[in-house]
Amino acid sequence: MDDDIADILASVSAPPLPQRTLDLQALTRAWVTERTAPELLPYPTELVERVMERVGKQISTIEDMTGTMDPQANFTLVILQTELERFKFLVRSLVRARIAKIDAYPHHYLTLPALLSPLERQYLASHQALLSSHYSTSFLSTFPTNLQKLDDTAGGISMVDKPDEDAAVFCRVLRDAGVVEIQGPSQVSEAELKRGDVWVMRWSTVREAVRRGDVELI
Amino acid sequence: MALPLPPGLTPSEVGFLCEMEQVTVIPRQRLDGLELLGGPTEALRPPFPTPLPLWLALLLKKQRRANITPPPWLSVEALTQILDFEMDERTAEVFSPSPDLPAATTTAPLEGDPYLAHDSLELSAPFLKDAATSRAQADALPYHWLEVGHLLLTHAADDFDDPDTVRKLLRDLREVRMSKLRKGFKVLDAGGGVKMNGVGGMEIAEVRGFVGGVVDELRRLNRSREESRREREAEERENGLGSSSYRDDEDEDML
Repeated sequence: MDDDIADILASVSAPPLPQRTLDLQALTRAWVTERTAPELLPYPTELVERVMERVGKQISTIEDMTGTMDPQANFTLVILQTELERFKFLVRSLVRARIAKIDAYPHHYLTLPALLSPLERQYLASHQALLSSHYSTSFLSTFPTNLQKLDDTAGGISMVDKPDEDAAVFCRVLRDAGVVEIQGPSQVSEAELKRGDVWVMRWSTVREAVRRGDVELI
Repeated sequence: MALPLPPGLTPSEVGFLCEMEQVTVIPRQRLDGLELLGGPTEALRPPFPTPLPLWLALLLKKQRRANITPPPWLSVEALTQILDFEMDERTAEVFSPSPDLPAATTTAPLEGDPYLAHDSLELSAPFLKDAATSRAQADALPYHWLEVGHLLLTHAADDFDDPDTVRKLLRDLREVRMSKLRKGFKVLDAGGGVKMNGVGGMEIAEVRGFVGGVVDELRRLNRSREESRREREAEERENGLGSSSYRDDEDEDML
């Protein structure tokens, strides 16, 4: 009963966080997840759009302020620019981590266009087109026709490299997320994901929970 | 173009994360509230303590425009108490507990794409409220304890009562906890699934390569055992129920 009252008080007295702060949390999480997960996650289109729009506005604010010679305003300018650089780093690092994954497994992600942003799709397609035409002019054309494919899946063996879905990841549980099965060599064990817990697990075990927002990678 | 780093945050990236933690500053100069991209900041009016992100606090500190109040857990008494807990033989298996978490405020939506959606976004470090401000919980180390402690001791040592003792205690804590982590490696197994509650961000950055490598390598070594177990189980299920359709090609995909 007391807990209920405390909860209600907490929810009433705590002012809701501004959209921008939530976006920073979301962007930070997207960056950390992309840097730690073995696989590509869905591209956060709307989030990046909102952030980039604000970055653009902030740049024009800074440009407007640059004219003044007031020392106080100059210091404010330093703060705004420092923060701007931090945001730019986050977005840039997020995009670069994604490109690294796309480059590592291009044929795999060609089959999963839903995960990519339009620009990434364009990059992947034109990069692959360049690469395959280069390969075929330099050596592939001298091979027998049936050996020229780059994404052959015949004979039960696929040429398409995939990211290691079972790679170990560090994760933190954000919301109680029930029980997951942990596959081991000799038996299947179970683990209960409770809020606040930190686990080392296979990515394939927690992938769905991360997509739901119940678990985050760290 | 593409990021040349292996998966997992590097120590400098963890440091970048930790700079988003809020700390309490005591301003020495007035500064109007700023409309930052990450949300507005409060106006600074000496001598009223104000929460600010650590990167901004350090910037003000370097220009001697503010002092930083160290969080309560970064005091000699609190650290001594936590160190005692870490050294205690009865708790040799676990880290000292993290600060109390507020109850989850959101529920996962049932449809749509919930990944990063605002209405199901649960805050976590470095955005947890009062992890490193003067109102932080005194008897527990937050996720970014080592990084916050190190940055404050490097750039704001004069705001501590006894920076040398705090520095020494932090170093002791780090050593005790690292040796615990190393002992914990014994239980690493091929399945993954090792619980590490209370571990810090920098500590993860330090052992990620090792732990991840061991778990992945053990998995590779035990793959045939695991696959034969799965096949056996699937067979048993098939015989028991007679209806399950086990697809053999799943395992081949992994090769």
